[in-house]
Formats: sequence, C-alpha cells, structure tokens
Amino acid sequence: MSTTSPVRSSPMLNKVPEVTLIFWAIKILSTTVGETGADYLAVHVGLGANLTTACMASLLLAALALQLRTRRYTPWIYWLTVVLVSTVGTQITDLLTDRLEISLYVSTAVFACTLAATFTIWFAVERTLSIRTIVTTRRELFYWAAVLVTFALGTAAGDLATEALGLGFALGLVVFGVLIAFVAVFHTLGANPVLTFWLAYILTRPLGASLGDLLSQSQNYGGVGLGTINTSLAFLTMIIALVAWVTFEGDRSEGADPAQ
Amino acid sequence: MKRLVLASTIGVLSLMSGEPHRQADGRVSFMPSAEAAMSSKLGDLSPFRAIVVDVAGLIDKGDLAGAKTRIKDLEVQWDDAEAGLKPRAAAGWHTVDKAIDRALEALRAATPDALTCKQAVSALLSVMEPAGKS
Repeated sequence: MSTTSPVRSSPMLNKVPEVTLIFWAIKILSTTVGETGADYLAVHVGLGANLTTACMASLLLAALALQLRTRRYTPWIYWLTVVLVSTVGTQITDLLTDRLEISLYVSTAVFACTLAATFTIWFAVERTLSIRTIVTTRRELFYWAAVLVTFALGTAAGDLATEALGLGFALGLVVFGVLIAFVAVFHTLGANPVLTFWLAYILTRPLGASLGDLLSQSQNYGGVGLGTINTSLAFLTMIIALVAWVTFEGDRSEGADPAQ
Repeated sequence: MKRLVLASTIGVLSLMSGEPHRQADGRVSFMPSAEAAMSSKLGDLSPFRAIVVDVAGLIDKGDLAGAKTRIKDLEVQWDDAEAGLKPRAAAGWHTVDKAIDRALEALRAATPDALTCKQAVSALLSVMEPAGKS
C-alpha cells in the first residue's frame, strides 16, 4: 500500500489526445455510431426510448469512471467515452424535443448558454481552458461536461437546421463542411485555438450525422442506400482500426523515446 | 444556400397561390390546400400507407396481436426514413409521426381496446392520404 501513495501524488499525464486529423476522423465517425446505435436499440430491438437512455447513461457512467481512473490518455477508453457521450448527448436533445415537446429554438439557445456557462466556470476555477493540460480530475470533469453539452447543442442546432430551413443531409454535409473549413482557416490565421477547437467540436456533430444519413438513407431520398446497420458497422470498424492504429503508434513512439 | 432560398421561395409561393376551397357549408377555407401541400411535399408515402392498411385489416378481423406485430414494421421503416423525409416538409412529417405514435400507443396498451386502436389507425390513414384524394 505504501508504494501506491507516491504514484498517486505524481502528476497525471494529459488525459486527452492531441488534436490531429485522425482525432477529427474518429470524432466524426463516433457521432454517427452513437446516434444510430441508440436508435437501433430503441426501435429495432424495441427497448423504447426510456430504457435505451437509461442503458446508455449507465454505460457512460461506467466508461467515465474508467476514464477518470486512468492516469494517462488511453485511446480505447477515451474514445469509448466519446461514443457514449455522443449517444447520451443526442438522447438528451431527443428527450426534450420528442417527449417534453420543447421547441428546438429554445433548446438550442439553452444549450448554447449552458456551454458558455461551463466555459465561464471552468475558466474561473482553473484560469485556463487549455486541453493540453487536462492533468487533474477536476479539469477532466470540466472537459467531459463541455463535450456532453457540445453534443447536445450540435444535435439541437443540426435538427433546427433541418426543421426550420429544410436542410437535408446532402446540403447539410456541404453547409457544415464549409463552416468547418471557415473555422479551420480562422485557426490557421491565428484565431484563439480553444475557441476554434470547440466550434469545430460542435459543428462536427451535425456534419457526422449528415454523413451517416447520406450513406444510410435509401436512394429514393438521395442517399447511397447502405442502410443504418451497415453504415454503423462500417463506421465502427473504421473507428476500431483508427483507435488500434493510434494505440500502436503511441506505443511505438514511446518505446523509441529512451533510445533517442 | 441559393438552392435553399429558391426552395423556400417556391414553397411560400405555392402555398400562397393555392386556390381557396369552397366547403360544403359555403365557407371558404385555405386549410385543405395547405395540408395537401404539406403531405405532397413529403413525397410518396404509399409503402408506409400499405402497412397501415394491413394493420387496419387485422384490427377489423379482431387480430389485435397481429396488428401490433405488423405496425412494428411501420415504426422501423418510418424511423429509418426520417433523415430522408423530414427535411422535405418538417411540419407534415411531425403530423404523421404523432399519428404513428398514437397508433403504436393504442396497439401496445396493456389491454388494447379494439375501438381505440381502430380510431387511431383510421386517423393515421387520413393524415397519410395522398394529396388531392381527400
């Protein structure tokens, strides 16, 4: 037991990944899998919306507990948590819209304010919003709270675009893609990296949903016609491959370090 | 964006140009043309409607359990097509969606009541009615 205390007091390594192209690829794919996975359980399996939300929320709590206990970034645990946060964030919005019949204008505004409040409190407590120094449990909890709200906000804003503007998935893919390209340009021009990161985080939610819809919807509706199940399985396979690659690459570069 | 503006302009124009309908009692109403515009914008709902016709037939035969099984096909297919249909006419989509929910609820009640089921399913059929036929 005495050996564990120095380990505990030693600082944690950054618990979240570097933001790379692979990071965004996995993030976009997770969005679709999170949404269609929950939908599959609720409708096809017939668990219903309430039971599915309860299942997903408990799985999320379990994954989050695992993620909080690790002392460094572990790709599979981190991405499992993201997929589950994505699912629960989507279900929160669906619950508000479908069950409680709260207008998407209201929920979009409320989630935007909640996100602003999350960042305000985070900054007030930590004096930084940097995602490169998520080295304490308190910072990590701020990080995951922000992630959950961005998924809820991304779902509400994306649905609002569909309802109010009649934005279908094909046009949606273009619109959200262009918006993300703008954010990327601002980022390279030296705009605040924290702001551009979270803007991209919100926008990749409806982008991922549009991409998933484009592949899964039948050709009658202008989709590719792969179906929900095939699309989700394809995306899940790609996520696993990318996460495995990131894990392997991390091990290799770490092994090379002492030799250098 | 251009396409979007164009689409919404056409939508508004077609709603405005809809001929007022003279009802049986002589009152003039814009409602039927607005509703018809909504459901026709959703496109061809016949594959969904065919399932509802089946369900209605099963209820008429008194086979509520069979109707409950059959309406699940509607739930799954309607849910799968959401991303394709909803952007066409969100308001029309919600009208049909709510009617489907009520029919599901009636058939899935602990002790389903034949009359309630019949009413919910015929209400569903009427909101799915193709444009111009009602």
